[in-house]
Amino acid sequence: MKRLCSGLIIIGLAVILASGVAMAQQKFRIGCADPLTGTFGRDGNLVKDAYTFWADLINSKGGIEVKGKKYPVELIFLDDKSNAAENAKFTEKLITDDKVDLILGGFGSDSVFAGSAVAEKYKYPLISGAASSNKLFERGFKYYFATLGKATEEVRGCVDLVQILSPKPKTGAIIGSDILFTALAAEGFKKYAAQNGIEIVYSELFPITLQDYNSMLLKVKQKNPDILFVGSHLMVAMKTIKAMKEIDFTPKMVAFSYGPTVPDFAKSLGKDAEYVFAASEWAPNLPYKDPLFGTAREFNENYFKKYGRNPDYVEAASAAGAYAMQIAIEKLGITPPVKEEDRVKLMEELHKQNLTTFYGVVKFGADGANEAHPPVVVQIQNGKLVNVFPKDAAEAAPWYPMKPWKER
Amino acid sequence: MQLFIQSLITGILLGGVYAAYSAGFSLIFGVMGVVNIFHGELVMLGAFVTYWMFTLLKIDPFLTIPFSLVSMFVFGFLVQRYVINRVVEAPPMISYILTFGIHLIIAYSALWVWTADFRTVTTSYSGFNADIGGIIIPYARLATFGLALIVVVGLYILLYKSDVGRAIQATAQDKEVARLMGVKVHRIYAITFGIGAAITGVAGSLIATYFIIYPQMGLPYTIIAFCVVVLGGMGYIPGALWGGLVLGVVQSLTATYLNSGLSGAFSFILLFVMLIVRPAGIVGKGIVE
Repeated sequence: MKRLCSGLIIIGLAVILASGVAMAQQKFRIGCADPLTGTFGRDGNLVKDAYTFWADLINSKGGIEVKGKKYPVELIFLDDKSNAAENAKFTEKLITDDKVDLILGGFGSDSVFAGSAVAEKYKYPLISGAASSNKLFERGFKYYFATLGKATEEVRGCVDLVQILSPKPKTGAIIGSDILFTALAAEGFKKYAAQNGIEIVYSELFPITLQDYNSMLLKVKQKNPDILFVGSHLMVAMKTIKAMKEIDFTPKMVAFSYGPTVPDFAKSLGKDAEYVFAASEWAPNLPYKDPLFGTAREFNENYFKKYGRNPDYVEAASAAGAYAMQIAIEKLGITPPVKEEDRVKLMEELHKQNLTTFYGVVKFGADGANEAHPPVVVQIQNGKLVNVFPKDAAEAAPWYPMKPWKER
Repeated sequence: MQLFIQSLITGILLGGVYAAYSAGFSLIFGVMGVVNIFHGELVMLGAFVTYWMFTLLKIDPFLTIPFSLVSMFVFGFLVQRYVINRVVEAPPMISYILTFGIHLIIAYSALWVWTADFRTVTTSYSGFNADIGGIIIPYARLATFGLALIVVVGLYILLYKSDVGRAIQATAQDKEVARLMGVKVHRIYAITFGIGAAITGVAGSLIATYFIIYPQMGLPYTIIAFCVVVLGGMGYIPGALWGGLVLGVVQSLTATYLNSGLSGAFSFILLFVMLIVRPAGIVGKGIVE
């Protein structure tokens, strides 16, 4: 009986494997090395959800349609544990071991910086929707693309916002964690503050591992800036708010480069999240649409139906990146298995693309950065993310100045 | 001057936080000689007990303390009884490897069950503070400081005034002789680990109200606990308080007057210097072998 059972299992496995091999020729296998655990585990999972949303949607229609035939999509995620070196290793594994047809970019500038260097070497176009450090675009790479703007540009709206505030804030302090993306956001804050006539009274980069922010923020509080700009990730943003309240520090406004747009932020901080400004690249009320996802609002609603939460802009940008690749494949008539010459053509096509998506216009510059995307500013008002800038996309006027903690 | 006093007080309160979650580490090391690498996970589990009771049952974080105390005691007792006791008399390297393995198992199981989401407990009174002539004292930190004092005093009383405490001390001093005197050494170990885990879990409960918690938060806590215990004297319980205070104040003043990047560096320089100059800790009562 035992022997019969194990025999059946072996036969079963053989059938599954054989069909797997046969199937492999019929579908696009797309790999992604992405942080699913560690410091960026939460953020990396957002990217995974976004690609999965796209893949499930396209598979529900039978797959990517090339020359009248439909090829489903299979996603393969490898966890780089928030370690850039691991990302390079896993990207190489996806390409050489798993022999994937295409790859997509994961979360975070450091990981993608490492992974995209491997992709460049093997001539795999890599589109990321969650990495935007300037350094990524200064390497002369041909195969790297990003649907986000550059990190220093992303925060422009947060500073330009002061033009519509009254009384106009005059001074600012900039803090940021010392990793690539947040440090660049801090640099962007500095650049646009100078353009807007905001005097920077204090700036500091602190280690991302810093456990307690109270002592650092005491010093900032002492300088009494009108605005606190924070180059942040989700955890940094949450810790900053917690610490500001504990030491009773209320500037006239506080703006984050990233974090508050992730729904967890408002969910865990509750009322303390009110008045917070954040840079965004996308909002569901923007007037864009495409044939796959529908309008920005529909994307938002369908995303909510699938995951029970609204998408962050990084998720919209990631889904748009996958969609841009899909459109290029359809146009070029590439079928799996994708060969090297196909990937070269794909790279060339992506550089030429000028695509309207639910996320906005995707048009990659020669350096791979999305040139066509306007920075948006959102504020948390009554627990909801509300567009407040630029004025033509605004849903409401910004709440300003921030209400002191003790009066809430 | 006001900034200095404020930074000093912030440092003392931070020291209280450090002491609260490091005392258990010191106890476990002192009695068994086990450097518990999953110490940070005990903080995490305690914090999650509070988080879930607060989120699902709307129980005030302070009222969840008895639950994290009891559940972490049971957890610690069982882990020691059935796992660590098997290697506790082997060379120290074996227990490092074992506790490192348990660290991975707990952190990744928690990640699997609870996902990588960042969470925090935000109550209606979160972040409330006393303002005394411009000096801000956050209540939750003050409560943790109080807890650290209670824990240290409580452990002292337990160790010196109760039968179990005397058995624990006897075991720590010479387990062979203790065994000959009829002390069930492995049982004492399990109780000790349970107590260490329980007080660490309670510290985690309080931490959940002002820090961000997530399944993989543990390792930095283990590292800080290690620093605190070395500074205060390994195995000397009140040393956790001294070590915590020194570390907290040094970090706070560095972050306020120099920059926060150096506060981490200063902690380790301090650790390094202490190990060379005064390996028995600030008050010189640690166990040095």
